Amino acid sequence: MKKLVALLLAAMLLMSCAAFASAEGGFSGEVKIWVAENTVEFTQQAVEDFKAANPQYAGMTVKVEPVGEGDAASKMITDVEGGADIFGFAQDQLARLVAAGALLEVEEMNAIQVSLENDAGAVGAVTMGETMYAYPMTSDNGYFLYYDKEIVKDPSTLEAVLADCEAAGKSFYMEINSGWYQTAFFFGAGCTLTYDSDDSGALVKCNTDYASENGVKALKAMINVAKSPAFVNGSSVSNATNAAAVVSGTWDAGAAQELFGENYAACKLPTVDGFQLGGFGGFKMLGVKPQTDDAKIEACDALASYLTSGDVQLARFNAVGWGPSNLTAQQNEAVQANVALAALADQLQYCMPQGQYPGEYWSLATGLGDDILADKYDELDDAALLEVLNTFQTTAISYVN
Amino acid sequence: MTDLDYLKMSKWARLAHSFVGFFASIPSKCRDGFKKLGLWFVRLFRSIADNLVDLVDTFVKGDWKTRLSYLVMGFGSFARGQWGRGLLFFLFQTVFNLYMVNFGVAYLGKLNTLGTLETYREGRRTIYGDNSFFILLYGVLTLFFVLAFIYTWRANIRQNKVSQQILDSGKKLKSTKDDLKSLADEQFHKTLLALPTLGVLVFTVLPIIFMILVAFTNFDATHQPPSKLFTWVGWDNFRQLLSSDSASYGDTFKQVLFWTLLWAFFATFLNYFLGMMVAIMINKKGIKLKKMWRTILVMTIAIPQFVSLLYVSKMFAQDGLINTYLMKWGWIASPIPFWTDAGWARFTIILINLWIGIPYLMLIATGILMNIPADLYESARIDGANAFQMYRKITLPYMLFVTGPYLLTSFTGNINNFNVIFLLTGGKPLSLELSGNAGYTDLLITWLYKMTVNDTNYKLAAVMGILVFVVTAVINLLVYNLIPSVKNEEDFQ
Repeated sequence: MKKLVALLLAAMLLMSCAAFASAEGGFSGEVKIWVAENTVEFTQQAVEDFKAANPQYAGMTVKVEPVGEGDAASKMITDVEGGADIFGFAQDQLARLVAAGALLEVEEMNAIQVSLENDAGAVGAVTMGETMYAYPMTSDNGYFLYYDKEIVKDPSTLEAVLADCEAAGKSFYMEINSGWYQTAFFFGAGCTLTYDSDDSGALVKCNTDYASENGVKALKAMINVAKSPAFVNGSSVSNATNAAAVVSGTWDAGAAQELFGENYAACKLPTVDGFQLGGFGGFKMLGVKPQTDDAKIEACDALASYLTSGDVQLARFNAVGWGPSNLTAQQNEAVQANVALAALADQLQYCMPQGQYPGEYWSLATGLGDDILADKYDELDDAALLEVLNTFQTTAISYVN
Repeated sequence: MTDLDYLKMSKWARLAHSFVGFFASIPSKCRDGFKKLGLWFVRLFRSIADNLVDLVDTFVKGDWKTRLSYLVMGFGSFARGQWGRGLLFFLFQTVFNLYMVNFGVAYLGKLNTLGTLETYREGRRTIYGDNSFFILLYGVLTLFFVLAFIYTWRANIRQNKVSQQILDSGKKLKSTKDDLKSLADEQFHKTLLALPTLGVLVFTVLPIIFMILVAFTNFDATHQPPSKLFTWVGWDNFRQLLSSDSASYGDTFKQVLFWTLLWAFFATFLNYFLGMMVAIMINKKGIKLKKMWRTILVMTIAIPQFVSLLYVSKMFAQDGLINTYLMKWGWIASPIPFWTDAGWARFTIILINLWIGIPYLMLIATGILMNIPADLYESARIDGANAFQMYRKITLPYMLFVTGPYLLTSFTGNINNFNVIFLLTGGKPLSLELSGNAGYTDLLITWLYKMTVNDTNYKLAAVMGILVFVVTAVINLLVYNLIPSVKNEEDFQ
């Protein structure tokens, strides 16, 4: 009851705001934004700049709240009405958000602008079917190798990296029981796993060939890596003890610099068994939730578009080190000079832009990884391994309904 | 079997006897249960019929004040001078009518479909349609309200009948003042219990009914209000969780249930016996620094589990403290897979749980042990009993008698012991052999948590909630009938 009354009141408030705002051609209500904690301050500044540049929105109250990209999607889905109007999230959540109806599709003109100004992978990542659902914000959600150049002399092959680590009694970290890092092996060996989606966010087709010779090659490589005494399953640099090489992403650049000090180095992933490790190129994005008020929609569209524009992306890189998805910003000297981003850029040529995956995929992949870590496959021959991958593939396909 | 036969049996034989007896009595108990249920229904229908007859009877025999009360609640009370009661009845009716007209009817009408009006876009503006969640919630609430109304309406009629009878016999009716006084006197229980009862109804009973109903809908990630509708699907969710074809979770469910029971058993009884042993050891005459030993053990309680468990889980990781040192000292060649191997992970969890569970048991046992009459031990010693015999014949029976109910609740508590599992492993390791995001160390309750929070799969989580209730209820009933505190109530009195 109370909620209903509150809802009614809120609706009335909104309507009165709308009436007031449309008279002025702007918007003066409240907009709530959720971004990762370390970018709250930056986002607040950017919002102030936006208001200064767009006087019709000067009366708008913007609340920027810290909600991690991992949590944002779950929170939005649980309570769309109570959630933020604009929120940042990583792209693995997009399919889930669209399926739950928690995203407003990007306005047509903005969509055209987004697809012209951002790299192709980022544009693909925010699109389901033919519809664009979010604004790409970064193009740095990929992984590569951080290493200690004193210990790891030759980071070009995984065998050499492991040998160097073993010789020095140090560890090599890679989170092979994560659906995200695991694709380094499978995609590197030439396998694919993608899902086609329609405009409503439903997955309609699974394209995969994990159950193949290449898949077995990848699985065997993972099993062999896991057998090395230097191997540790993990990806967080700050949690790593005794590490000489870690496969992680740009968010760990600071921690890696601290860990390796003078010997800090980063490069693309090594080769293993003669094939180059691949992986996902991932993206962070900003989404707008469905709104019931036209003036607010306009304001949110404009604000989200501004917060993901090239200049702001570059400013964000300078403030918190997030790699831009904007093509112009990517050409900036400072961006190009960043060790971690350079390594990522080098790695991205072997990567597939991360598309849409069902939530179940991630736990399925963790299942496969955990089985490898539990040494369940150590004694299996090729035929048995193929059988394992067959199970994996059938299950992955069964998520399409 | 005679009592003598029973008493001749050894302790274990008696236990076996009552165990077999319990299962043997299940069919007859079920039959009794059904019979009782049938009788209950018969009584229910009979009382409904009686009520209907009485309603007609009251109407026929009633005066015009009574008759008008059928339409306007509280009118009779008003007209007979009991304005306090009349006002309450009338207010209730007004609130009910207003509620029904404004909300209730709409929600009730949609309860059978849970909404049909889809959310759509007009240009870029979203027009929200029906919200299945609110329809279900307020629909159930409205049903409650309707039942309450029928009950109150019936009370209102009965009130008129009784008042008429009292007036006919020449006595006077209670005034409002008398009513108010009685609420602080002979009706004081109603005054006290009104608020708690309402609270229990709204905050406990209503959510439970709501949750049970969700188990029969398709409320999940792709049917998420307010943008999407969900609707009734009957027993589909139960089928998906329990049957074992490839798209279902039956095999995984069995696996998780097996581990849940295994875990509850070990976590309860290992802690119990080891905790008791530690307490006995510390209590023994001649042990020095008793307080210090107790303090050391109690320290683990003082540190929040949140901190200690997360820390310990790191300690046992592949690159954690334990493995690193064991390897450094040359005791093992490669790290022990504490968390990656299913068997090891289960073993490690039980082990770590001992560390946090023993201190509690030690505290409880210490108190009880000090309570055992010393003369029992003294006479046993004179009879030449050794320490083990004394433990088996005096300490253990006494402990079991006093802590039987505690054992039972702690077993139930362990079935739902979310903290330890979630903080240590989060249910991992997962496997291709398991489905539905469940891992080898997942309890039903942690699996339920993952389903709700990670997968937004409310429908299956609701089914799981019901099954957890069934499991705990069955075990509780079974064990409750076996524990000595219930069976041999006079033993230690």
